[in-house]
Amino acid sequence: MSRYLAATETDARPAPDRRRTLRQILIEDFFYGPGAILCTLLLCALLAIAAWKLLDWALLDAVFGPTETLDASQACRAEDTEGACWAVIGDKLRLILFGLYPYDLQWRPGLACVLMIALYALSVQRALWRPALAGIWVVFLVAVLILMRGGIAGLEPVGDDQWGGLPVTLILSTFGLGLAFPVAIALALARQQRRFPMLQAASVGVIEFARAVPLVVVLFMASVMLPLFLPADWQVSKLLRVLIAFTLFGAAYLAEVIRGGLQAIPPGQYEAASALSLTYAQSMRDVILPQALRIVIPGIVNIFIGFFKATAIVVVVGIFDLMTAAKRAVADPLWQGFGIEVYLFAGLIYFVFCFSLSRFSARLERDLARDRAS
Amino acid sequence: MTHKAETPLLSITGLNKWFGAYHALRDVDLQVAKGERIVVCGPSGSGKSTLIRCINRIERFEEGRIVLDGLGSAARGRAGQREIEEIRRQVGMVFQHFNLFPHMTVLQNCILAPMRSLRETRATAEAHARELLARVRIADQADKYPGQLSGGQQQRVAIARALCMRPRLMLFDEPTSALDPEMVQEVLDTMVALAEDGMTMICVTHEMGFARQVADRVVFMDRGQILEVAPPADFFDSPRHERSREFLGRILAH
Ligand SMILES: Nc1ncnc2c1ncn2[C@@H]1O[C@H](COP(=O)(O)OP(=O)(O)O)[C@@H](O)[C@H]1O
Ligand SMILES: [Mg+2]
Repeated sequence: MSRYLAATETDARPAPDRRRTLRQILIEDFFYGPGAILCTLLLCALLAIAAWKLLDWALLDAVFGPTETLDASQACRAEDTEGACWAVIGDKLRLILFGLYPYDLQWRPGLACVLMIALYALSVQRALWRPALAGIWVVFLVAVLILMRGGIAGLEPVGDDQWGGLPVTLILSTFGLGLAFPVAIALALARQQRRFPMLQAASVGVIEFARAVPLVVVLFMASVMLPLFLPADWQVSKLLRVLIAFTLFGAAYLAEVIRGGLQAIPPGQYEAASALSLTYAQSMRDVILPQALRIVIPGIVNIFIGFFKATAIVVVVGIFDLMTAAKRAVADPLWQGFGIEVYLFAGLIYFVFCFSLSRFSARLERDLARDRAS
Repeated sequence: MTHKAETPLLSITGLNKWFGAYHALRDVDLQVAKGERIVVCGPSGSGKSTLIRCINRIERFEEGRIVLDGLGSAARGRAGQREIEEIRRQVGMVFQHFNLFPHMTVLQNCILAPMRSLRETRATAEAHARELLARVRIADQADKYPGQLSGGQQQRVAIARALCMRPRLMLFDEPTSALDPEMVQEVLDTMVALAEDGMTMICVTHEMGFARQVADRVVFMDRGQILEVAPPADFFDSPRHERSREFLGRILAH
């Protein structure tokens, strides 16, 4: 080959503009051929029809409250009303949100809900992902308990058989996850280590049991069987028993996710920690777990979303959560027949929580991928 | 041979190690005097890493003794957990792939073990760490994360991190093999400086220039066995063992 010598040096140029105009996007992605044109037009038509019907039902023809001549319930039942009856939500809002909690004290569950939502908002701040976050959780959860139970600080006591609605749903998932988390770390570490085979076997047993049995069964066992095993004078409320079942269940799933994170840590990290004379506990706390947990946060969020929705199943053992509250609201003879509106509203609450979490999880996965790439 | 003291700092006798059925270390004997610099070389898979990982008990072994100044004298590597921790406090190790903790800054990497294991206060540990980071000429990067540094810088941090434990013996496992060529020298310079300060070192490396410059003895291993031990000049210029000659022929061929 003959010799080559560069005669000039090329200066860096800005990358060519790859953005497309709206016209280009439409032509290239939606109308690029006969099939695509047909598809696009057909789907647009379907969408338009569906949107129009929905708008008609949910807004234009809907009843939001009493008219001059009729009260709200009568307005909903009027001959010419074909739309949704949102008036039922307004009438039953307190029942759906707070169940049978004493009416005058409902600011307490309200504040408890705000606290738990604030706790989520804090927990998703990456700057706060350090051991101190555990302390924040403890403080918030204790505050929630005090608000709900009362009995101290001049608050009137309210038994947990009177709790209901959204705070119960939030409490089951938040306390369930908060308690499950440390248990899950212990289970994952016990399963991963090799030094104490009995401990490992016990952990595998718990995890595989909880994962192999449907949640409903665990719930029935907790609400029916657990009292049989406890001393007769131990009063464990149904809510607490169900919470224990949730904790066990959540811990098993979380443990497997965390174990995945532990396995993703390169052996060199364990070796470096050992070579520096860190003990097992020190290397786990300072080196391995902080990295492993960070990797699996998207997985943890996904479990939490599933967990949040799964709490709706406590209807079957008679816990008064958001779902039960919705059912109860529809049972009122005044409003019978308007179940769709009430369940849609309850569904909307679930949706808002789960969708925010899943958006957060998606953003997080993007951030983590970017961190890893850099 | 330049034995600098009568009782060796490190004494390996009759060391044998198996991975399952595979006999990875075979009757290894090696005495290392205080202040002595050993370079270990040999073909890939010959057991060099395994040997130095046995020294700080990252790897268990089935037969023989590795005694570090009286520590670990029980046979067959059955030292108790406390004794193993004490050995690891006195032996620093530098890995081929650095193994820095990516979620901690350079400074945090350096002070973690002194604070946890030596129970130093944060102030003491930080002052010492900054001094050592300055010595490996990387003081200005103390608050960066490992991912923000070049390979050569990361390896120098790893050296500083090991030195923060005030070790009496330093182990290096191919510290320059994972580096881009232009970064090899800065790490070797750091190691030479360390040798000149009198640190006892065992280095697995194929950097012959480094071996010639600082090594007191070169240990040649093949198939789990030590086949030749000689001062660097003798080893590189007139290897005695047939397989040493083959090996040197191969690495000098290009
Ligand atoms: N954890 C392990 N399990 C099984 N075999 C191993 C393990 N580590 C090393 N070996 C084997 O032991 C031999 C020596 O390995 P090593 O000490 O890493 O060699 P070197 O560092 O000289 O390249 C090799 O054949 C390798 O495959
Ligand atoms: Mg090796």
